[in-house]
Amino acid sequence: MRRSLALLASALIACAGSAAHAVDPTLALPTYTAAYEPTNVDERGLWMQADEAERRMRDSPLRIRDGNLEKYLLGVLCREVGQERCAGVRLYAMEDPQFNASMMPNGAMFVQSGFLLRVRNEGELAAVLGHEFAHFELRHGLNGFKNRRTGTDVMAWVTVLGGISNTPTGSTQLSLVGSIFRFNRDQETAADLLGLKYIAQSGYPAHSASEIWKSLMAEQEATARGRKLKAKQHFTAGFFDTHPTPLSRAVYLAQEADKLPAGGDPRKQELQDALAPYLPRFLAAQNKLNDFGGTDYILSNLAARSGWTSDLLFARGELYRARANPRDLQLASQFYREAKAAGYAAPDLDRNLGLALIRNGQVEEGRAALSAYLMAAPEASDAAIIHTLMAN
Amino acid sequence: MLRVTISIIALLAACSTPVLANSLIGPGPRAGIAKSRISASPAGEWNKLSLSGGKNVEVWTLDGDSLNKVTFFGGIAAGQPLLRERDKKNSPLPKVASNMLVTDIPTLLETTYRSQYAVNQMAIDTQAPAQLGGHAGIRFTYNFTKSDDVRRKGEAFGAMVNGQLYLVAYEAPQIYFFDKDIEKFRTLATSIKL
Repeated sequence: MRRSLALLASALIACAGSAAHAVDPTLALPTYTAAYEPTNVDERGLWMQADEAERRMRDSPLRIRDGNLEKYLLGVLCREVGQERCAGVRLYAMEDPQFNASMMPNGAMFVQSGFLLRVRNEGELAAVLGHEFAHFELRHGLNGFKNRRTGTDVMAWVTVLGGISNTPTGSTQLSLVGSIFRFNRDQETAADLLGLKYIAQSGYPAHSASEIWKSLMAEQEATARGRKLKAKQHFTAGFFDTHPTPLSRAVYLAQEADKLPAGGDPRKQELQDALAPYLPRFLAAQNKLNDFGGTDYILSNLAARSGWTSDLLFARGELYRARANPRDLQLASQFYREAKAAGYAAPDLDRNLGLALIRNGQVEEGRAALSAYLMAAPEASDAAIIHTLMAN
Repeated sequence: MLRVTISIIALLAACSTPVLANSLIGPGPRAGIAKSRISASPAGEWNKLSLSGGKNVEVWTLDGDSLNKVTFFGGIAAGQPLLRERDKKNSPLPKVASNMLVTDIPTLLETTYRSQYAVNQMAIDTQAPAQLGGHAGIRFTYNFTKSDDVRRKGEAFGAMVNGQLYLVAYEAPQIYFFDKDIEKFRTLATSIKL
């Protein structure tokens, strides 16, 4: 009886939701043309480059092929923009600790691991994927492309100069490849607004989009604090900045979201379950970026979602051990021990605990932890060097 | 017009030669590598690149540094990064600490690469005790992929001597090149004196 009541209630809520959409014609999505083909010479050229970039990313060793991550992400996109729109999309998850997701005009979408580490629920994830999809639907890739053709000449030159000066051009090259598909500020705003319409249709909370920008600003501040810099918050976008600043974005997205139906479940648990197998790997990569403040912020953010799990505590231990001030080493040992108490089972915990203790001068305790590691993993590839550390 | 062009080219060549001057390293003893106490006696010929990436860093190669590359880090002092920082403010590199354990050396190299070269995949494979120039240290192997998508392998010998880091690393593509020259590197590394 209770179950059928709940069913009835949810059916009513669903009706109410769709009724709200039907009433407000401004929230209706524009008609969508599937299987669009490039029409003129510029567009065909752009698509050719996009196809080539997609092939490279598809075969890249950085692509996260294991498990169901890409399938899950595509599912979120479909829920956000609807089955009709998402049908032709290819989605690639890439191992890259930077906060980014992008979509090319040929319908290939890239989602970076650093972005997945930062979203706190499925609603935020969907908001960003929807925003990128909006660029695609509005065909922003082509508009203004002619004016930016010179961008590719710049890339050729950077490659040549990089060869001479031996500076790594890799990331510049990627970011300039990105610049072919880079959008101007008006386009960003248009995509944000269409993105909000997707949210209104999808049932995710209306404020998902503004929340993510607020969180990004807080992280930038934490990074600046960790590096003893003044927090850099642009209150107005610079002339050459292509994106609206996080602040102005958070403000207008919040204002627009107030006009929408509030939306429903942000599906926090679903995101957490889908990312759980990848979390230790993503955290390890983030830990090695030498960004104490930002990483600590991300960890606290994740802990706010799931509580301090053994994986998060272990990652926090790693973070403090890497900074290695005496107080950090002290705390690192504490976090490792808490992680163990919370159920962290892999033997590398004892290894890293032992190393933190020895570096902090607690030699006896350190030896005990290291010998526990060697007991658990006698065949480890670093067993011999750990033996010498215990002997000294 | 042609003359002007030629003289411009000649001028450019004259300017760029000292900057781009790589030099031949002949077989036999050689001291002061990486402006430090490192000396070695290579068995064969190597090329020393003029551009190294840091003050106490020297790069040798056989066929070009993307095919086989030996990097000497000569006595990096506490508080200093392994490589010259491109952007001190926004992407600072991790620094050497005088109380580092030998197992912190591979981690330092990895975090440096991830920050400096945007290497998103890198792993330390093996770590074992070893000597570098008669000092107790570590020998470790690793693999990584830079943005050119080429999988590379590395092998390095490192030691902390009087609170300073000495490290010599060999890197080459996993396919063909790593195995081709690894023995030459090992011979070179065992000839090192500090």
